Amino acid sequence: MPHWFLISILLAFLSLDVTAVGQFMVSRPIVVGPLVGWFLGHPNIGLEMGALIEMIWIGDLPVGAHLPMDLMMLSGVSVAFACELLGNQYPPEAVMTYALGMAIPLAALSTEVNILINRFNVRWVHLAQRMALGGHFRTFGWINWFVLIEHFAKGFLVAAVSLILIHFTSSLFFLFTTILNGRVMEGLYYAHWLLLALGCSAVIDLLIEKKTIFYLMLSIVAIMSLAVFDQMQGVYLVSIALCAGFALALFFMGKERTNG
Amino acid sequence: MAEESLVYLNRKDLISAFIRSFFLQTVWNFERYLSYGVAFVLLPVLKKVYSSTEERSQALSRHLEYFNTHPYMASFVLGAIIRMEEEKQQLPKARQKQKEEEISALKVGMMGPVAAMGDNLFWATVRPYCGLLAVTLVLSSAFQVKGQYWVIPLLFLIVYNVAHLGIRLTGFMQGYRKGDQVVLTLRKYGFQESIRGLKFASVILLGVLIVFVNLSELEKEMGLFILKLTFFTAIVGLFTFALHRKISPSQLFYAVVLFALMLAFWPDLSAPPQMNHFAPSKPALAEFPMEMKSTKGKS
Repeated sequence: MPHWFLISILLAFLSLDVTAVGQFMVSRPIVVGPLVGWFLGHPNIGLEMGALIEMIWIGDLPVGAHLPMDLMMLSGVSVAFACELLGNQYPPEAVMTYALGMAIPLAALSTEVNILINRFNVRWVHLAQRMALGGHFRTFGWINWFVLIEHFAKGFLVAAVSLILIHFTSSLFFLFTTILNGRVMEGLYYAHWLLLALGCSAVIDLLIEKKTIFYLMLSIVAIMSLAVFDQMQGVYLVSIALCAGFALALFFMGKERTNG
Repeated sequence: MAEESLVYLNRKDLISAFIRSFFLQTVWNFERYLSYGVAFVLLPVLKKVYSSTEERSQALSRHLEYFNTHPYMASFVLGAIIRMEEEKQQLPKARQKQKEEEISALKVGMMGPVAAMGDNLFWATVRPYCGLLAVTLVLSSAFQVKGQYWVIPLLFLIVYNVAHLGIRLTGFMQGYRKGDQVVLTLRKYGFQESIRGLKFASVILLGVLIVFVNLSELEKEMGLFILKLTFFTAIVGLFTFALHRKISPSQLFYAVVLFALMLAFWPDLSAPPQMNHFAPSKPALAEFPMEMKSTKGKS
């Protein structure tokens, strides 16, 4: 992994977007995946992994004091790992599943580090209180930038450690595939399709209510008819769904407003 | 109070406070959550509004009390606080204490409802909708075929941030214009109606997503496709039930991989359909449009 240092810097910058600065969503898997993939010469793999992660963890929301899984680190590290393993003639689906499986514990570790930082930040607030009472307004303002550096350093260190760790365990992948004569690859290949099903389930779990089931069925039947009988291309189907969704949204918004 | 001693905030002060609101969560912590963020946003305003160091210190300390809400929707509260701090300094000394209590009451009173609204609108509706749109486009392979990999993430960022920045800016300006009356204006934005409408739009996109995941089998035969769709529906139902029972996606991920590995080692299933283990293959997700084209005329 010759680019681990640059990728760690990139991930450290992106990690600031998770909570510290703005939350413009540049730290979402659908953005981080293709970015890291493009950096390592496989933007398609990055995009597909980003989409898969986005789907599976779509329902993990930062509500209240709950800190969700660090998806930025998960997508960055898993895509980097997948890109490293890809040049060995294995099916990309299997490689992506393996890389994701290896990166999940590291992302969980990153989440734990985030929790530690949030606990440590209490000390910064106490210091800020003292600075405010003492009239040291410049120092009060500087605390924000110190904590920003702290977040950046955390992002860099976690990314660097994860990438190095994963790089040195890549031989395990080749060991599995050699000893087990392709069966593992086969399993991981099946798993990829099942993971797409898991992603759909996560979206259903988040969005579907009793009132919307009918519209889901209607959408599936309509889109499938258009795809099968009219041989319509994917992008047109998405456009039709967007327009139908927009019309339906307007209709229900109007209805709700009238009732309210 | 003499007219010349009154201080009014100008456009530059408001822009400065608005830019600082992007750092609202930098010192997020488990004790007082966004308290430092609020004080950091208000720092230039308080410096201008209060002339003495003592007054500034007291004002800053007041804003270091517990505060937690949604980071985007907080802009409504922040704008209102700025307006009220500006008004407070224009009041006679005797009434300033009452204004301080009003500011504190506004913060406490608004943070809960605004957080609930923001969580529901952004985390549970707008972000999943944008994510779903991006994922559906990835599965449609519309842009990958032409090598335009950057289009989908860019579209995701544009759609999401139009809503995000729009709400932040509107909230901040409305908060500043209306002051403590901002609560009354929140209803007119129709957030509840938008959430409802977007949920329906997301459901339609979800239908497309489910079809796309299964469409690669179309090329082979209709029977196989229907069989696959039935199996897929059963699996999705099972996973949805598991997620509903609060099993985490990470746990389910490993369960899926384990199940698939068991399948692979099952003797009867040792030869997977049309899979060459050690030959480089195209990513499955990118096959769809090509297959759609190739099926033309076959029926």
